[in-house]
Amino acid sequence: MFILYIFILLLVMALVSFIAKKKAYAIATVESIIILILTILYAFVRFYGYTGGMVSTFSYPIDTSIGFSFSVGITPISMVLLFLTVAIMSMAIFVSGRESYDRRFYGLMMTTEAGLFGLLISRNFLFFYVFWEAVIIPVFMLIAIFGGEKKESASLKFFVYTQIGSVFLLLSILTLFSFYSNSYHHGFTLNMGKLLSPAFISGYITPGQPFWTDFILFGFFIAFLVKMPSFPLHSWLPDAYTAAPYPVTIVLSGAISLMGGYGFYAVIFPIASLVGSTVAWIIIGLGIISLIYFAMVAMFQENMKKMMAYASAASMGFISISLGVGILSTGYNTYTSISGGIFQILAHGLIMGLVFSSLYIIKLNTGSESNLTVRGLFREMPVVSAFFLGGLMASLGLPGLAGFISEASIVLASYETLGLLIFLVIFGMIITASYHVWAAQKALNGPYNEFLGKVKDGSRGEIAALSLLFILILLLGIYPSLFYHMIFVYIKGGI
Amino acid sequence: MLDYAWFIFLTPIIFAPISALAGWKGKNIAGILASISIFISLALSFLLFLSIRNQSAAIYQSYNWFANINAGIYVDHLAIVMALMVSFVSLMIHLFALYYMKEDPRKNIYFGETALFTGGMLGLVLSSNLLEFFTFWELVGVCSYLLVGFWFFKPNAASAAKKAFIVTRVGDLLFIIGLAILYSSLNASGVNDPLSIPYLITNAGSVANAIGSQNLTIVALLLLGGAAGKSAQFPLHVWIPDAMEGPTTVSALIHAATMVTAGVYLIARVLPIYATSIFASDTVLFIGAFTAVFAGTIGIAVNDLKRILAYSTISQIGYMMAALGMVSVIGQSAVGLSLYHLVVHAVFKALLFMVAAVVLLVLMDLRDVKQMGGLWRKMPITMTLFFIGSITLAAIPPTAAFFSKDTIIDASYQYYLANGQGIQFLLPWIMLLLGAFTTGLYTFRMFFLVALGKPRSKLAEEAKDPPLIVLVPLMILAALSLGLGLIQYRFYDFLTPSAEIISVPTLPTYLPLIMVGIAFVIIASIYGTGLWKKMDLSKSRLYRLVKSKYYLDAIYTRGIAERVILPLSSGFSRTEDGFSRSVEKTGGGAMAFGGLLRRIQSGVVEYYFVFLVISIGIIMILLEIMGGI
Repeated sequence: MFILYIFILLLVMALVSFIAKKKAYAIATVESIIILILTILYAFVRFYGYTGGMVSTFSYPIDTSIGFSFSVGITPISMVLLFLTVAIMSMAIFVSGRESYDRRFYGLMMTTEAGLFGLLISRNFLFFYVFWEAVIIPVFMLIAIFGGEKKESASLKFFVYTQIGSVFLLLSILTLFSFYSNSYHHGFTLNMGKLLSPAFISGYITPGQPFWTDFILFGFFIAFLVKMPSFPLHSWLPDAYTAAPYPVTIVLSGAISLMGGYGFYAVIFPIASLVGSTVAWIIIGLGIISLIYFAMVAMFQENMKKMMAYASAASMGFISISLGVGILSTGYNTYTSISGGIFQILAHGLIMGLVFSSLYIIKLNTGSESNLTVRGLFREMPVVSAFFLGGLMASLGLPGLAGFISEASIVLASYETLGLLIFLVIFGMIITASYHVWAAQKALNGPYNEFLGKVKDGSRGEIAALSLLFILILLLGIYPSLFYHMIFVYIKGGI
Repeated sequence: MLDYAWFIFLTPIIFAPISALAGWKGKNIAGILASISIFISLALSFLLFLSIRNQSAAIYQSYNWFANINAGIYVDHLAIVMALMVSFVSLMIHLFALYYMKEDPRKNIYFGETALFTGGMLGLVLSSNLLEFFTFWELVGVCSYLLVGFWFFKPNAASAAKKAFIVTRVGDLLFIIGLAILYSSLNASGVNDPLSIPYLITNAGSVANAIGSQNLTIVALLLLGGAAGKSAQFPLHVWIPDAMEGPTTVSALIHAATMVTAGVYLIARVLPIYATSIFASDTVLFIGAFTAVFAGTIGIAVNDLKRILAYSTISQIGYMMAALGMVSVIGQSAVGLSLYHLVVHAVFKALLFMVAAVVLLVLMDLRDVKQMGGLWRKMPITMTLFFIGSITLAAIPPTAAFFSKDTIIDASYQYYLANGQGIQFLLPWIMLLLGAFTTGLYTFRMFFLVALGKPRSKLAEEAKDPPLIVLVPLMILAALSLGLGLIQYRFYDFLTPSAEIISVPTLPTYLPLIMVGIAFVIIASIYGTGLWKKMDLSKSRLYRLVKSKYYLDAIYTRGIAERVILPLSSGFSRTEDGFSRSVEKTGGGAMAFGGLLRRIQSGVVEYYFVFLVISIGIIMILLEIMGGI
């Protein structure tokens, strides 16, 4: 129930943000931090000494005749991602203070947070779908209203792409729904637990109906791959990431991309028995292509924001690899691969939060985000530069930082399935390392670009926020069990 | 309860941020705190050494890290020797750096990073799990990256740091593929904690059965790839000479004494795996022996004092690798041979680099040996230390390297004898012998050019010794360079109970020394007489080949990076742009189509209904067609 109260509080706060006339920034910051603290408290109370299964289950029937009820339940997957959401949203709202955004901005930000929160706690497909949509609209408006260059086309592209994904999502949900009612003699339900239960999936769907199996999977995959984004459904990504104001970029890379990953592990992994090896290989293939292709494209970008946008998409490629490998292998390789994938969503979100926040401060202070003008920044902004370097290092998967734990889990467990294809993954990682270090060399090291004049380092508040985020990433790299353990227990116990 | 051994590596890691913050605004406290933390590590290592000296069982303590991977400490004789060496040499270098870095405004960052590095290196040494090992391996790599680029405003330093990072990263990722093969294959055969070092080294045979001996050979080769990246073995050695752009104490600490030997330590750590595969161990042997002579030849042609030492480091590590590669003949005794040279090398190479640091400091960072000369008269104490370092490097008796290196060369002759005297088995011995010859050449050349003759530049004329107190760490190292030879056999026995004694016929035993003698004669006649000033080698094709480092650097940067990766990347991003534009065009098309359709949107509900029915019909038909496939 406690989680529900947090959610209701969040809804109220979103409303407050919309109507508060003054001090919109301060209100939103306080609100998001309260939600962050409450969520951490909740996680601590409910998941300390976690032994498996779903917690905080709650269901409020709305219309039982069509199986429509508001059900809530928290698994470690949703817990981890809830934490990521609230942390990233607080960070995004906090760093936005230097630019005077109005209440619409913060209202929309809080709505996005509420939508994500609702999505992650829902255990009913109808609400899952509603919240899925509820996230897209405020983000669309945030880009369209507050974005920079090319904001109209970028926001439209984002909207159309994700909308197409949503349509497929709805079709798949409805197909599952009708299968269920057929097989259980007009028993209507939209409960995710029931629709995704192994008994139903393996007992009633597969036999004799390959088309509909593929149809369901196809819909889910399209919806989730668009959000991730994965090659070749990524075309909205560079535009949206670059056109969006920085706080929204942080949300896009940290929080919006988690929706795809959440769909992978919370919706597709439970019905893995439907996924044949061909489909699994396609997913792995898309993951590897994403990894290499985006890394290659990123290497050539001069705009660091765009470069990191591609880097973000490249590291989401690991999630596709993780799911495919998890489906194709067995035993501990599956557990490690899947847990690594879930951990990767968390690590990726936090790392991108760090990278984009420090880049944001660099952009605000120097007026540029291009590798051609930002040069030798260590001299003028040593602290923020150090955090940016830390973010880059984390993003390339340096051990000791969170990203390594997930990438190592995925790569280590993958050999049995991938065989020599693992060299392609490693090739992608080498390219990734190269352009990250190259960007650091150009932007941070070397002689300072005197044309930028004298610039200030980040303010104390900014440095404190960056430090917190970096320490969190470091902590998760050294002591991953904080989150990894419960994911592993949950996956091992069987979803 | 944590064993106190944990604090061997935890202390410097904990002290690293403290000293960086406490020394803000350039206070001296940073260096002192860092040195204290490393002294604590040294003291703890020594205590641990005393307590496990007489027992063969290792200290092993580990906890679950994530998934089914544990992390902890595993301290056996090999690890404790390495820990003692790392903490001792690091302490000496830190003490010297207090003087060397005293003018630097960012020295708090420097000491924070070197303390972190030392902690990482000690962590690597004590790791009980290969993934944990890998984590520390990368931690020292990133410290090396940061420290090479410590003077970030120098473009050379920035690009050298990048090169060091990327080249070692290539090796590191090969390493992780090796781990992936081990992990996922052993998982499939139901092993708990598949990457645990104690498990792997005590059950190498059953691991080979579980994952197939061919796979284990591949694992061994991939780990060798990682080791070659870190330890700068051919063909991944190209980063070390460039890494000399960092502060000289960093070169001494990281690129001479400790981090670059991590690769050797890795192979020594998992040597039982190599023992299962002749092919893998022979590869180690040949790569090591080849690197020894290969890097030695480049060392002769280089004029930068630090780079001569860098190539010499690469070459000496080749000897350590070669020693490990002889596991198929002398078994675990190879560890003793290799580690003994490793320790001796760490001592004298740290000494040589710190002498170079002193020279560079008084010569205002002039690194060209041809501009030096006559320093022995100007700075006698420093140059005496340099002399001791140099004769140790050249392995002249009774210095320690004479015992450590010539035993390795002897062992390679034994390898030839043991393998039925086939001519291909003589190759390692020949290469190592030539390596000793080139070592003699570049060492004496360096020494003649730096210390003897007349000063050849204004700066060299005005050189003088630094205060004696700062040379104390160097003197300690010099004494060890001379004296470590005394413990040779006790060292071997400590690492491998009843280690094999290498004995070969008389001529091969003395040949290395004779080679060094010939090298001395050649160098003395060229550089002792001033003949070298008249020589013009720039026309010689061989000289140009060597001088350009056999074109390997050029192949990597111009051939691979600029001709393959960058064009590929450019092509990919052009594709991406085109792709993006075509998507937009489709979108535009849809808009136009929408405009057309708008005419139909007349508001008459019947029309909508008709369209709905038609659309549903089309979808149904499509589904039917697709379902039929």
